[in-house]
Amino acid sequence: MRSHWNVQKSVASALFLREAITRLSASRIAWVWILLEPLAHVIFLMTMFGFVFHRMVHGVEGGVFIMTGLLGFIIARNTATRSAGAVSANAALFAYRQVLPVDTVLVRAALEGFLMLISTLVLLAGAALAGFNVAPHDPLTALAAFSGLWLCGLGLGLMLSVAAELLPEVNKLVNIAFIPLYFISGVMVPAMAIPQPYRQWALFNPFLHGLEMLRAGFFVQFHPAPEAGLSYLYGFALVAIFLGLALHVRYAGRMVAQ
Amino acid sequence: MIIVDDVHKRYSGEHGPSRWVLQGVSFTIPPRVNVGLVGRNGAGKSTLLRLIGGIDTPTRGRIERQCRVSWPMGFGGGLQGSLTGRQNAKFVCRIHGHDDALADRLAYINDFANLGDYFDQPVKTYSSGMKSRLQFALSMAFDFDVYISDEVTATGDVAFKNKAAAAFRNLADRAGLIMVSHGEGTLRQFCSAGIWLHEGCAHWFDDIGDALKHYKESIPA
Repeated sequence: MRSHWNVQKSVASALFLREAITRLSASRIAWVWILLEPLAHVIFLMTMFGFVFHRMVHGVEGGVFIMTGLLGFIIARNTATRSAGAVSANAALFAYRQVLPVDTVLVRAALEGFLMLISTLVLLAGAALAGFNVAPHDPLTALAAFSGLWLCGLGLGLMLSVAAELLPEVNKLVNIAFIPLYFISGVMVPAMAIPQPYRQWALFNPFLHGLEMLRAGFFVQFHPAPEAGLSYLYGFALVAIFLGLALHVRYAGRMVAQ
Repeated sequence: MIIVDDVHKRYSGEHGPSRWVLQGVSFTIPPRVNVGLVGRNGAGKSTLLRLIGGIDTPTRGRIERQCRVSWPMGFGGGLQGSLTGRQNAKFVCRIHGHDDALADRLAYINDFANLGDYFDQPVKTYSSGMKSRLQFALSMAFDFDVYISDEVTATGDVAFKNKAAAAFRNLADRAGLIMVSHGEGTLRQFCSAGIWLHEGCAHWFDDIGDALKHYKESIPA
């Protein structure tokens, strides 16, 4: 008999390889899409808004401003939506009792974070080559914001993966809900551009906190909204992860049975 | 040894919980005893196999597995359609902790399933016979103390059937077996003891012949 830890380790590594293969070789240029998706967004928004908001934040280049916001948003959104679909995509594998639904969600979130980290570094390097100044002035804060956004995505993914199995309609609602989130998370504008009293409501959204802190880490001239901070971001992530894991414990049996 | 103690099972459906499939099933399977499971369609045979295999949990009661138990073989599940046969086989080897002898096991599985070039094609392109050949080969590649088989011998073409039957006989000699089959001959050939599932209850018989007799008598003529 193997120990629990050994079983968990081998399941996690096997699932990671299995997920990576389907993600990177699903179609002939699947791996290109991983880079191209954020790149297409960035170029589109940069041309649309980069010039409009050119001097919105004094001393910050419009293009890089949008790029950081977009990359931070995409890591949170992709982690949440892709790990929410992990359970249904791996349903066949629950025939092996070693594999639990929660394993598939955790592994997918890890893979998504890993891929986004790589594509972020590649895009930043590309922007640096194109002559933009992308070196973060406070790398630790930027990294903390980036991981906080990923953790938020993980927490949401854990909760949504259970909800989507119990109520299939949830998937449609989530896809709809992420469209307005794109606009109210501060991808294109800083939180300070939102007038009161709307700003205090917008700051219930943890993504806005994450993006503010991400930019504070990148640009020395950028002053985040005084209410924004890492503590709200991490607090939200902690609560979401806890609730998500609790849901998985409660409904593991039912998800496997389906 | 597998201990099934007062197991109840019902599923939750669209309109509230279903009727009870199993109501207070208790028995103990001693080590190295081959057991046949008989009962009508819908009596809960597959449900009981899934519970013993640990891929589903009882609503009430408990099941103790004091040995290595296989996944339910021939279940139709366990294969990811978008991956090739080889990738699926690798996955199953890895979750069972056999990273070290991966190449040997893959060679064995490929040889047994005899899929040829299809071993490196996505499983969703397989015919149902090829799929069950791969599943059968997968379960043969690991050493379990007890194998769970759900109508597994009835698959594949004639050549494979002979090969599978020989492997199955070999397996029945060295390990325990819990099987569901509608073929009376198959049950008599492989099993010594029997469990008859009837109206949510399980009846244990030390002789498979007695189980089959009770099962037949329960069917209205």
